[in-house]
Amino acid sequence: MLFSVLIYASEDIMDAVSPEEHAEIMRHHRAFHEHTKTSKSFAAATKLMSTGTAVTVNKESGDYLVTDGPFAETKEQFMGFYLIDCPSLEDAIDTVKLLPLEYGRVEVRPVEYFEGADFNNAERLVIDAS
Amino acid sequence: MPNAWLSTHLRAARPRVLAALNRAFGDINLAEDAFQEASLKAHRTWQRDALPKDPTAWLIIAGRNAAIDAFRKKRHETLTAPEDLEPLHEGPHPEEALTVKLDRAAYRDDVLRLLFTCCHPVLRRDQQIALALKIVAGLSVDEIARAFLIQPKTMEQRITRAKKRLQAAKLRYEEPDAKGRAERFSTVANAIYLLFNEGYSASQGSSLIRLTLCEEAIRLARLLVRLFPEEPELRGLLALCLLQHSRRKTRVCVDGDAITLEQQDRSGWDRRNIAEGTVLLEAALRKGTPGPLQVEAAIAATHAHAPSYEETDWVELDRLYRALEIIRPSPVVSLNRAVVIARLKGPEAALALLSGLAVPLERYASFHAARAAFQSDLGQTSAALKSYELALDHAGTEVERKHIRSKLETLGAKLNCGQDQDL
Repeated sequence: MLFSVLIYASEDIMDAVSPEEHAEIMRHHRAFHEHTKTSKSFAAATKLMSTGTAVTVNKESGDYLVTDGPFAETKEQFMGFYLIDCPSLEDAIDTVKLLPLEYGRVEVRPVEYFEGADFNNAERLVIDAS
Repeated sequence: MPNAWLSTHLRAARPRVLAALNRAFGDINLAEDAFQEASLKAHRTWQRDALPKDPTAWLIIAGRNAAIDAFRKKRHETLTAPEDLEPLHEGPHPEEALTVKLDRAAYRDDVLRLLFTCCHPVLRRDQQIALALKIVAGLSVDEIARAFLIQPKTMEQRITRAKKRLQAAKLRYEEPDAKGRAERFSTVANAIYLLFNEGYSASQGSSLIRLTLCEEAIRLARLLVRLFPEEPELRGLLALCLLQHSRRKTRVCVDGDAITLEQQDRSGWDRRNIAEGTVLLEAALRKGTPGPLQVEAAIAATHAHAPSYEETDWVELDRLYRALEIIRPSPVVSLNRAVVIARLKGPEAALALLSGLAVPLERYASFHAARAAFQSDLGQTSAALKSYELALDHAGTEVERKHIRSKLETLGAKLNCGQDQDL
């Protein structure tokens, strides 16, 4: 079953981490990548830009309304997500334990439908904001 | 590193907590002391796996209570504290009572007020930057002193004087009207850009400390954008900082010499910074209220997106500098436009533009250096030599002088070969 791994953390905190802590966080993510790729459960990884870049699009009495920023200011922000293909919820939970959970909250939620871009011969699609 | 996580939490919460304490006491010194006490209490009681539900609110309450205790001790308890300074009940989760009251809107205005206080127009620029770094970012006096290459004692005095000046100014803490708010945003945004520039442009001092200044400026800008996403100039500020920051690895070579935009290795520019800066700028410009920082960010974005110096969109740059000349006219902006004009119309047209700037920019090394370059392009080698000499006289840093000297040497060699046309 395909699971989404939704990562929430405080941008205030992420802006404040020391270089050493940042390296530690990245070490966890690399371990997650390695494990899921070796076990062939890796499906996708997405890191979002800061919420400051976001706009919210609404429709009100027929008019499109674009407001700045995310819908609401919350203590934690949605930072990004993984998609992993695991045989069971139990397995997904175990995998998620590799992530730096001290720095944020991780929600595991099964995927009902998924479609990705068309890529040839298992060539992975990597978009690195450049 | 012991307690690195705790330092990170304190660093992250600092601006909001200090902002709330500053509002409660109307005094930055008191707020700073109270934050210090709250931090010590956090060091004693927080555990990594069992943090308070809302660390920010916890720190505000602890700081408030510490200040009230100090206040009472001073008064020997002969006077009762004013009712609104009563300590809040400290149950297992004392912050819960406060969390309800501290809605996000209050945080927003408190942080803006704190930053505006630190960057208040009654302060000198160097005082504004020092206070913002000390109070909002939480850098130590030693760190700030190192960044500005002065003795810690001198920096300590600068900060103390700044605080005294704020106290003497008897700032009022009421809510500003719409115009007052706009002024606050503009003052704060400019001060943060100044802080960024302090790290970005100065070529002396340890590069690590310089980088810290840029990163702290970006952190403050991010906080402001998060709190006020609807303010396009704040997004412009963050966009500008990120776009400039993208070039950090290519601006100085190993021996510390500055590398000009023309000669930088563009493959070393940080593409993530450029992507984020560009989309922030686009979001800001959607509002249709361009300000100086948005225009400057657009200029930086134009450079960032040029595949090479030769392929820079000079027409767009000319348009943007013209806009800047209207929104925020300054001789330096016109000087920059002259450099663009040299590309578009040749050195003669650029020199003509410069002639009007000779008086205001008399003591500005970059003016003389630009003039020298145009003169040299026109074959006026001896005039160019004179201009470079003037540039050398006014250069502020050794790196700048070194750069000009190398230009002088090249030109001198040319003169000896008898290529000068205006002799």
